[in-house]
Amino acid sequence: MTSEAASIGLTHGGSEDTGLGHRGPESKSIVVPYGFWLFVLSDMVLFSALFATYATLTHATDGGPTALELFSRKLVAVETIALLMSSFVCGLAIITAKRSNMLWTQVWLLLTGLLGAVFLFIELYEFGSMIAEGAGPQRSAFLSAFFTLVGCHGAHVTAGLLWLGTMMAQIWAKGFKQHILRRLLCFSIFWHALDIIWVAIFTIVYLIGTLP
Amino acid sequence: MTLFGRLTWGSIPFNEPIPLITSLVMMLAIAAIAFWVWRKGWWPYLWSEYITSPDHKRIGVMYIVLGLLMFVRGFADAIMMRAQQSLAIGASQGYLPPEHYNQIFSAHGTIMIFFVAMPLVIGFMNFVVPLQLGVRDVAFPTMNNVSFWLTASGALLVNLSLFLGEFARTGWLAFPPLSEKAFSPGVGVDYYLVALQISGVGTVLTGVNFVTTILKIRAPGMSYLRMPVFCWTALASNLLIIAAFPVLTVSLALLMLDRYLGFHFFTNDGGGNSMLYMNLIWVWGHPEVYILVLPAFGIYSEVAATFSGKPLFGYRSMVFATLFICIVSFCVWLHHFFTMGAGANVNAVFGIASMIIGIPTGVKIYNWLFTMYGGRLRFNVPVYYLIGFMLLFVGGGLTGVLLAIPPVDFITHNTLFLVAHFHHVIIPGVVFAIFAGYHYWFPKAFGFTLDERLGKAVFWCWFIGFNLAFMPLYVLGFWGGTRRLQHISDPSWAPWLHVAFLGAAIIGLGLALTVVQLLYSIKTRDRRMDVTGDPWDGRTLEWLTLSPPPHYNFAVLPDVHGEEAYWTRKQTAIKQDQLIKEPDYQPIEMPVNTPTGVIVAFFASVCGFAIIWYIWWLAILGLIGAFAIFVWYAWRDEHEHIIPVEEVRANARERRRIRMEHLHQLSQSV
Amino acid sequence: MTEDETDLIDVAPGAPHNNIMSEVVAYVIGLALALILTGIAFWVASTSALWGPGIATGLVVLAIAQMGVHLVFFLHITSGPDNTNNVLALAFGVLIVFLVMVGTIWIMSHMNANMMAGPEITNLQMQH
Repeated sequence: MTSEAASIGLTHGGSEDTGLGHRGPESKSIVVPYGFWLFVLSDMVLFSALFATYATLTHATDGGPTALELFSRKLVAVETIALLMSSFVCGLAIITAKRSNMLWTQVWLLLTGLLGAVFLFIELYEFGSMIAEGAGPQRSAFLSAFFTLVGCHGAHVTAGLLWLGTMMAQIWAKGFKQHILRRLLCFSIFWHALDIIWVAIFTIVYLIGTLP
Repeated sequence: MTLFGRLTWGSIPFNEPIPLITSLVMMLAIAAIAFWVWRKGWWPYLWSEYITSPDHKRIGVMYIVLGLLMFVRGFADAIMMRAQQSLAIGASQGYLPPEHYNQIFSAHGTIMIFFVAMPLVIGFMNFVVPLQLGVRDVAFPTMNNVSFWLTASGALLVNLSLFLGEFARTGWLAFPPLSEKAFSPGVGVDYYLVALQISGVGTVLTGVNFVTTILKIRAPGMSYLRMPVFCWTALASNLLIIAAFPVLTVSLALLMLDRYLGFHFFTNDGGGNSMLYMNLIWVWGHPEVYILVLPAFGIYSEVAATFSGKPLFGYRSMVFATLFICIVSFCVWLHHFFTMGAGANVNAVFGIASMIIGIPTGVKIYNWLFTMYGGRLRFNVPVYYLIGFMLLFVGGGLTGVLLAIPPVDFITHNTLFLVAHFHHVIIPGVVFAIFAGYHYWFPKAFGFTLDERLGKAVFWCWFIGFNLAFMPLYVLGFWGGTRRLQHISDPSWAPWLHVAFLGAAIIGLGLALTVVQLLYSIKTRDRRMDVTGDPWDGRTLEWLTLSPPPHYNFAVLPDVHGEEAYWTRKQTAIKQDQLIKEPDYQPIEMPVNTPTGVIVAFFASVCGFAIIWYIWWLAILGLIGAFAIFVWYAWRDEHEHIIPVEEVRANARERRRIRMEHLHQLSQSV
Repeated sequence: MTEDETDLIDVAPGAPHNNIMSEVVAYVIGLALALILTGIAFWVASTSALWGPGIATGLVVLAIAQMGVHLVFFLHITSGPDNTNNVLALAFGVLIVFLVMVGTIWIMSHMNANMMAGPEITNLQMQH
């Protein structure tokens, strides 16, 4: 039995090493983010199904536009940097939130949101111009798969921004209470996970997809 | 587009007597019950003790009530199908035209899997797991409540299709291209898709909740290898939920995009590939059946050990077998479409994997056998179901291994042989376990046991009825009978189908007797009160509490010193003729009630209904409502209420007093 | 359940748990590595200096490396004993992702090869 266990007030008579679980229930600051981590992993499985769909339908262009013709690597590079920087400043926000610094937390969170919005704006612009030139999701199975995969990621980003706005309001109204910090931590897990998925998207869809 | 989308007066099935009368009767029954509850003054009690309750025990009961109610609907579909196939032979066309028959078999499968089996299994996991782990509740109690209400929302929508519109005619998995808009333009497939998406969200949240609980929230001293086997199977099942349900979400979402926005995932034109749907949906579909059967195996493990008076044989091999099944169940899905044309190599790999997955289940059967061997088996109702399961399930599993051989499957795929196989595993496997668990844990939930004689009668109805209903189907399958036939052209099949119908009728009798048993047991409960909280001489921690347990389960979380935590504690107490030293009582924090779940489900239902009928303004309102209630919930400051130490102490001392009495009786008889 | 802020027995994923300087440094290193890997990826995709068929593999490797950078530096998933549950969950997730993607691609490529309509039928379908 470890000394930490004794200090938290949990005692039991056994002397064998029982491994994980001998301490009794974990605290909420462990349990909540772990549960959220599991949810994020389920989201990863969701995206894997979308990736698998995309991979299957990459060549089902029905005589219509192909990836090579449609995608602009420059735009994607800007999107990628925006989202990566957004992830970075989100991390800074967690650091300042743990120290209960209201000003800097709100600053970093605002930057997180703005950079995320830049990402979304570019993506919507890309979608819009593709649709305008007749390469919308109804044109072919390949395009359906593209719009759904990348669009689903974008929808997650949008939901994340709504969540971020709510968090900023909550922090402002209630301060850095325990449950608010836990939620902020969950948001940051979500935000970093979205960036991980974007790495897969820009690699598979935009880079590999446009190889000569 | 009108204000009500494509919803018109013509959506009500005035010209179809069966759905019309059924839905009117259902609505009347619901109204009558609601009125009766109101007259008795029970609504406030139901609201605060069940509907808004974050208590895993109450949520578990609600799941089981939902599952049992939907069982009636699913069975009604079944007996209608059996009747049709019994009547529509040769010249006769029966009483159900194909358009109607197709909805019935689709509804039967959808309801039985998603709104009967899943809620019942999840209900048992809800009720039992925190008690067996020696803790107060799951990791996320409010989310647990939301999960239940989202499932109920899906069930509501499916039932609504009886009265407004129609249901899908595409089978329980809605394969394209038939399920595409071009070939199923009506609302049926949309009801199916929306209902499953809503309840699917609830299920994934349950998965997250229970994996977190089992891994992070256990009594002090309860390491992994000291958990009851039911908790291990619950862990495996919920890991599968987290892994598989997102793939279902994607499959259904892609079909919805095809239908609503004209995408081309599975269409015949535009480059669509309907085989992709088959692949994706079965990636979910196969783990789904293990999600159902693993907790069932867990229930059998508990029953075998308790009623044999012996520890479970081969605990570690059970755990290993469970985890092995968990992983391998993700490697076999192609066996559902051997005939679709992936070729010999692919078929061979998945065929071999499908045979391998039978091995750990075989290990489990031996473990249950050896648990009973050398023990003193008490023939209560759960043991009837255990033995019935062991006798029958092996046959079903063996036909599964037969189907796993691709050349055999080319002959038997989508025949009645297949239908017989999957009922052969799911009824003795899952349904019998549910009835066993129902008898086993009923006293813990309600404080009195069910009547044994009626329980045994129900068992025999199931055992005999199941065999009569499904064994003939194996024969007919070999003779070339395909599944989902509305009309039978070969008159020589008639006797077999009549026997099958008789079997279904006997099962129906069993269901009726179940209702009788419940009502009778309630009426005569004073004869069978569970005074001590341990009516079966149990071995796991749920039997430590009184029946029913207080909301917080345990006054002090029990210290766990070995496997079978409760049994060792009990034996020590009996030997020493005293309970453990009275612990230091503390006030207990418990989560508060919340209407979030039922309100979110309300808005989800509104939004779902609106999407189905193309009422776009209402769909947006529903979404905004759901989001708003979520933010409102997130804004609250009061998460918990405190149960004062006096109350805790009083309840605990009452429990100790009862146990001391029981202890004296025991040690006098020893 | 106690709310002990110094509870280091198990660590939540994503929770930084050192002093402020080392926390910031972790993020800066992560950002730098991610930027470098992204840059290399874009360069690899457009250069003719590498053997053609190997480019896709190289890009995948770079992507996996960058995902690792995100996991370690932004999400603080490490191999310490306090992180075991997080790593196990991640491993399970990765396994499922692998099975779903590889399984689907393997199966569907066979299906397409064996079962998809030939050019005559496809042409007919395209004339809508």
